[in-house]
Order: sequence, then structure tokens, then C-alpha cells
Amino acid sequence: MDPLPLLDNIHLSKATVSFDDRFTLSEIDWTITSEQHWVITGPNGAGKSALAAALAGMGDIQSGSIQGLPNNVEIVSFEAQAELIAQELKKDDADIMDVISLGTPVSEMIFDHCQDTELAQSLVEKFGLGKLLDRAFRKLSTGETRKVMLIRALANKPDLLILDEPFDGLDVDTLAMLQAHLASIIDTVPMAMVLNRFDEMPDFITHVAYLDKERGDKQSGDKGRLKLTVDRQDDAAFNELYQLLHLKTTDLSVPEADPTNKLPTLDPSQPLVKLTQATIQYGDTVIVDKLDWTIERGQHWQLSGPNGSGKTCVLSLITGDHPQCYTNDIFVFGFQRGNGESIWQIKQFIGYVSTNLQWEYRVSTSCKNVIISGFYDSIGMYTKPTDSQKKIADQWLEILGMQDRADQPFNKLSYGDQRLLLIARAMVKHPPLLILDEPCLGLDDINRQLVLALIEKICQGSETTVLYVNHHAEDQITGIEHYLGLEKNN
Amino acid sequence: MANYFNTLPLREQLAQLAQCRFMHTAEFADGVEALKGKKMVVIGCGAQGLNQGLNLRDSGLDVSYALRPEAIEQKRQSWKNATENGFVVGTYEELIPTADVVLNLTPDKQHTSVVNTVMPLMKEGACLSYSHGFNIVEEGMKIRDDLTVIMVAPKCPGSEVRAEYVRGFGVPTLIAVHEDNDPKGEGLALAKAYAVGTGGHKAGVLMSSFIAEVKSDLMGEQTILCGMLQTGSLLCFDKMVEEGIDPGYASRLIQYGWETVTEALKYGGVTNMLDRLSNPAKIKAFDLSEELKDIMRPLYNKHQDDIMSGHFSKTMMEDWANDDANLLKWRAETAETNFEKTPAGDVEISEQEFFDNGILMVAMVKAGVELAFETMTAAGIIAESAYYESLHETPLIANTIARKKLYEMNATISDTAEYGCYLYNHACVPLLADFMKGIKSDVIGKGLSLDDNGVDNARLIEVNTALRSHPVEAVGSVLRGYMADMKKIV
Repeated sequence: MDPLPLLDNIHLSKATVSFDDRFTLSEIDWTITSEQHWVITGPNGAGKSALAAALAGMGDIQSGSIQGLPNNVEIVSFEAQAELIAQELKKDDADIMDVISLGTPVSEMIFDHCQDTELAQSLVEKFGLGKLLDRAFRKLSTGETRKVMLIRALANKPDLLILDEPFDGLDVDTLAMLQAHLASIIDTVPMAMVLNRFDEMPDFITHVAYLDKERGDKQSGDKGRLKLTVDRQDDAAFNELYQLLHLKTTDLSVPEADPTNKLPTLDPSQPLVKLTQATIQYGDTVIVDKLDWTIERGQHWQLSGPNGSGKTCVLSLITGDHPQCYTNDIFVFGFQRGNGESIWQIKQFIGYVSTNLQWEYRVSTSCKNVIISGFYDSIGMYTKPTDSQKKIADQWLEILGMQDRADQPFNKLSYGDQRLLLIARAMVKHPPLLILDEPCLGLDDINRQLVLALIEKICQGSETTVLYVNHHAEDQITGIEHYLGLEKNN
Repeated sequence: MANYFNTLPLREQLAQLAQCRFMHTAEFADGVEALKGKKMVVIGCGAQGLNQGLNLRDSGLDVSYALRPEAIEQKRQSWKNATENGFVVGTYEELIPTADVVLNLTPDKQHTSVVNTVMPLMKEGACLSYSHGFNIVEEGMKIRDDLTVIMVAPKCPGSEVRAEYVRGFGVPTLIAVHEDNDPKGEGLALAKAYAVGTGGHKAGVLMSSFIAEVKSDLMGEQTILCGMLQTGSLLCFDKMVEEGIDPGYASRLIQYGWETVTEALKYGGVTNMLDRLSNPAKIKAFDLSEELKDIMRPLYNKHQDDIMSGHFSKTMMEDWANDDANLLKWRAETAETNFEKTPAGDVEISEQEFFDNGILMVAMVKAGVELAFETMTAAGIIAESAYYESLHETPLIANTIARKKLYEMNATISDTAEYGCYLYNHACVPLLADFMKGIKSDVIGKGLSLDDNGVDNARLIEVNTALRSHPVEAVGSVLRGYMADMKKIV
């Protein structure tokens, strides 16, 4: 076997690459070394194929740089395939002679292109294309043209091999054969392949790049960003990435509320929350000073402010967790506070997630019970859940891709998984108001992405009003249009 | 005032002592209805007063605090506790006359003076509530005939009463009605509503009598709960140091060991606690505990006799009258003990190691629990009461030692408990002196170092049978079953 080519590292530095004004890869920072094999993944429209194409030298670099790309790069993708077929059809159109063009035969497509005819020959046999060598390329089926492309690319002995969804549409035997062949050349060529499904990932893959899309305005179009790179050796991160992809690509929508136990109906003409001149004070220290704030149904809010500006205090006035809610003028969910209502009558309308809650959630109970406890606003379970509640909890676990962890103890989970479960717990009853108090606090990149993906899913599929507290500018949630900024009083 | 218990005929004494019933959830179907719209005024704003008040208010009830004028004028801690939590605070004269229910949550020692001040101010037909019956039973306080007198006693420190409520649960609670003061027959309804308001009904409520509560509570707290743990801590620590074990390790083994071994007690009684040991260690612990029981039985009998006869309360009240001279002297001595002064070392002790290296501690807990239970039931207290006041509460007290050693325990428990603990410790340390001479580090500090874990079959069967057939195990398994039904962590 040939030794690995002495390749420079491929280095993308804040590379912004546009493709026909339709799509832009935005500020990609990425390094590929010669002994690495990458999978590029992400939800639809995130720019996976664009990134693959950029490695093949396509697209217009708007800013930043891409350095170290080798000269001999092969890419197999639907776009490249379509282009090749288009070229062939063009030849047909261009034929002004009144004869029927037969088009380029498969043999010519393969052998004229490649460096290693011997290898090409053996691949033709392996792929079972022997009988088709004389057939016109453009007469082949999609699957067959894909095989031709793969043979051309492999037999050309590239210094970088880029495969965009190489396993799509291949039958089982061909798939196994291709995987085996790729495994046999891992020491000779670095590979980058776009894959949507983790279970197709070959064992030799060493790293995974995860892209996600950011919605742009009408002029700029959508943008793809490289959000994360994960080393395959890092099992925990790898599993989380799997979960993230699942969350981003699953068609499952947020489970319904419990039909057997509906929340009381709220008067639609009243605001959900109305604080009038709300003040929180300890001794002479004023934490919140005469705050007026009304949250109407369907108005998603972001609450921001520096540490110590009283964000959590304001929230706890709403949730009833602050003792001074009894000395303030607070109207919540039809109750003027301090008139004989219990906090459980208030809490039933609220889903709540915070770092504090996670710290306080220290009972030893199963993941499934943590979700179900959202129906009772309790930490831990003290009541036997109904069948309907159990079913809904199972649906949530499925969305989270955590079905296999249903009975595992909550406190043994990773910090990020715990957070996801607590968000599901908050949403399980479809509360009129969902309060997310710094839901990404303390999470690493990948878990941050996971949490945001889940919240986005929730915002899409329910009538819940979201109150989002955050000071990380990058963790935006689409759909929030109202902002309240608190100042530090002291 | 004469000791109320001693004024009753024997038949009535026995009938009162025999009261204790685990109440069914359905008995709380009316929720807080009986207290809705009524004015509840709390006297005392310490841990119980504040936290019970917070719970009751969050359950939709009207709660305010009556404090002595000095506390208000000098803005003492009790005043701060109440006002910062948004409660109405006033003097006795301002608030008591308006109260439908007066909650006396002051320390036992102050009861006589508080009740004497409050009673004339209370309106006709109102209710006076206690959380401990000492004042009625031991001091013989006579309450105005038109007033209803009840007891609602959460069986946990105040901080836990609040924490469990916030989690959506509660703590086990004992309720009672003073039969001499139930003119309108509404005592039970009020006590039940009060228990619901603090969340107690979710964790289980025991219906008892003032007398059963006082006589069993005093016995439990001064012997097994506080006395045994205090004595055991001091003796075990000094022995380990004498045996050459690192003081930091010894300190940690004891400080957290009680909590760990009694956690096993909480889940499965004395049987489960000993089942956590290897077979040879179990037999060793059993033998040690039998020896301890023989030595300590006269002491337990004396404590119970003195409680029943009123001698204990008489000597304690004498010490109260003498400015707590004995108690304060002892408290200072405790602070100077080697165990108290040696911080827990920075060493890792696994959960199992606490059992393996703490055989003597397991034996002491077993001996104390069984002796206290046996002595109480022999004195006419029924098994249910005896179980709660011995085995059930041991983990709660052990938990306070884990937090800050004996200081925390003595700071958290009531003044009567601390005085009882003093008496017990004072007598028990010399009583066990000879026994401790025979103790080596194999049963405290290092664990048995055996080549194999073989034991004699017949002896093991004997020990297992003895453990499992002790009467505290029979009643315990039934009561834990009720609790588990309520706390169904499915």
C-alpha cells in the first residue's frame, strides 16, 4: 500500500463561502490533518454538502481563507453527479448533426479518467458494472451512475476523498463492499463524508463535524455554520451529538398534553401575568424597584440583565416562590395574589427550568418519573402516575432519543441530559407559560445546541408563551420579540 | 401547676398512651377548608415558626406573626424573619384578639409564660395549637374551657418542613386533640387542615394523644436519638485514636457514618442495617449489641421511669429555673471533646466502608433502637408511637450530625431533647467504660480482618431469626409500607 501522501493540513480560517447567492457557509474554522477521517453532519439545510463542495474547491470565498487543499481532490455527490449527467445531455443537445448520439460509454467515463486502470477494473467487477461498460453513461439508472462516480473517484487515487452521502441508494451487498474498500484505503487517503445517519458511520471515522443553519434575511439567504467538532474517542460527546442529530432531524413533534387531566381554562381577555410596581427589598437593600410588567398570552419575552439585577427574583414573584409575592400587586393566571389561592394553583400553569431546579432535583428517581413529575409540579414522585401520563412521558423520551434510559436513575445522567429531561418535565403539561431561566447555563457547546434544539422544537409545536432569561447573546431563540432589561440597582 | 398525666387514673393514662393511628389519605379530602378564611397567628418566628408559616401561607391560608414588643422594637432575628418574608407582624395585643387559631411555636421552656400572656387575649372559642405537648402534659397548663387545644407536630426540623413542601411533598406529622379542650368538637378538623397546610398529609399523618406524644417523644430523643448518638460518637472516636487510627479518618467515619448506616435503617429496619454487613461482621455486631443492651437496659428503664413519673421534667424545670446551669456547662464540655474538635479528614470513605469499619456503630444503633422500643412498649406506649420515636427518627438526627457534628445536633433539637441528651450522656459514658476497654479497631475503624468469611450455619440462622423477629421490625415493616404507598417512587 502506498504511504500516506505528505499532505499539508487543510485549514479553513473564518472562511465564508457563498454558493450562487443561494447559500453561504459562514465563518468556518476547521482543520483537517492527513490522518483524520471526517463525517460532516447536521440537519437539512445546514450546509453539509456545501462544506463538502468547499473542500473540493467550489464556491466563492467571500472572506477568510481555505489553505492546504491538495490538487487531486475527488468528490462524489449528488450535485457532481447531476453536473456530469447534465454535461452528457449537453453533448446530446450540442450534436447538430442529424444523427442519434449514443453519448459517452461507461468504459470511457471510467478508464479515461482514472490513474489506476487495474484498480478501476477490479472495482468495476466488484460493483457489478462489467455488463454495462458499453452502455451510454446517460442511459444508466441513478444508482448505476453513482457507482460509476465512485469507481472514478476511487481509482483516481486522490489526495483527499470527499463523499457526499455515498451510501444513499446502495443495495446491501454493494454497501458492504464499498465500506470494506474504504476501510482498506484509510491509510492512503484522508476522507470527509457527508452522512445524515449515524448508524451508517464507518468504524474508521475519527472525527465528526456538526453544522447547523441560521436563518438569514431575504437578501443574504440562510447561513450554515460549523457548530461543533467531536473526536470519536470522546464517547460522551459522540453520544450527545447523536442525540442532537436525532432531535434536529426527527419528524416527531412535541407530545400532546394529557387529555384526561386538562388544566383549568384561563380567561383569554386577561394577561397571563401583570406585575404592578413590583418591589423586592431586604432591609434597606432594594433588589427590584417598582417594576411594571405585563405578559400577554402568545407574547414571547426575553428577560436580560447583569448578575444581581434581580432577574431570578422577578421570576420567583411570578412563580410564587418569592415570599414577597404576598406584599406585591401581582396578578397571575386569573389570581390576584394573596387572596387565599395556594401556590400549587399558580404553579400548575407554569413550566419552569433553571440551574437551581437542577441542583434541587436530587431525589433518586428514574428519568421517566422526572418527566412525569412535571404533571405534579413536584421534585420526585409521590403519587402513582396514570397510564396516560406514562404514555406521554414515553413519547417525550422518544423525542429526546432517551428511550433506553427511561428507568435509569436521573442523578446518574450527564448534566446536559438532566437539563433536557427537566425541559421535557416543564413542558409535559403544556403550560400556558414556560419560564426558561438561563437554560444553557453550565452546558458545553454540544449540550447547549441540544437544549436550544429542544426549545426550538417546543416553540414550534405548542401554544405556550415562552419567557426566556439569558445573557448569552448567541443563544437566541427564534420567535422572541419582546425584551425586558433589568438594571443593577446597587 | 400539677403534672397533668399524674392527675389521671391509671386506666386513663394507659388509654391515652395507647393512642397512635396512621391516618388514611382519604381522611384529608377536605384539604385546608376548615382553616380557610380564618386568621392564623403564629407566636415565635424561629425555624419551625417561620417555615410552617411559609407553608401555610402558600397553601392559601392567612398567616401573621405575633412577637414580643422587644423583638419588634429591637428588630431581632425573629422580626427580620417574619418581615423579610412579607408577613404581617404585630404585638400580642394587636394580633391575638383577632386570631381564630394561635400557633404556639416557641421553645418548650417559654410555653408557660407565653400561654399565660396569650390566653387572656384570645377570643372566645378560638383554637390554641402546640407542636409539643410538654406544657400541657408535664407542666399541667390549664387552658380556658372555651378554647380548642390541638397539636400538630411535623417530625422534622423546620428547614426540612419547608424544603419538602417546596418539592411538592411534606414531612410525617403527628396530630392530636387535647380531649379536655375540645368544646365544639372541631379540634380534629382543624388539626387535619393544619397538617394539610404544611404538606404533612402527603407524607403520612399519625393521630396520637398529647400524652402519648410527650411520653414517647421524651424517651426517644433522650435515649436512642440524641443520647446514644452523642455517647457513641465520643466513645468511638476516642477508641479509634487510642488504637492508632488517623484522627481525621476517625472523625469522618463517625460524622458521616451515623447518617450512612441509619439510611439502611430507614429503608429496611434494623434487619437491613445489619444485612449490609458481611456474615462474620453481622454476627459480631449482633453479639456486641446484645452485650450493650444488657449493660444499658437499667439506664433505659430509668429514663422511661423518670419520664413517666414526671421526675425528668421536674429536674429539667429546676435547671431552667437555675438559668440552665447544668445544660450550659455540659454544652461547653461537648464543644471541648476531641471528636468535636477534630475536623473530618480529607479521605474518601465508600458507602460500604462505613458499615465494614463501623461495626460497633451499627451495634450501638441496633441496641439503642431496640432498647428504646422495648422500654416504651413495656411502659404502655403502643408500638406505632414507639417505632416513630425510636427507629423512624434516628436517621433524621444522624443527618444533623453529618452536617456539623454534635454542635448541629444539639442546636437543632428542642431544649427538652438537649437536656435529656445531657442526662443520658452523663450516665452512659461511665456505664460503658468497661465495655469499651475490650473494644479493638476490628469493630471500629478498621473492620474485621479475616482470611475468609465463613460462619457457622446454625449461629447465622439464630442471629437472622432474632433480628427479623424483634417486634420493632414487625410494626416497622407495616408502617414503612404505608409510607412507601404514599411516597410511591414507582
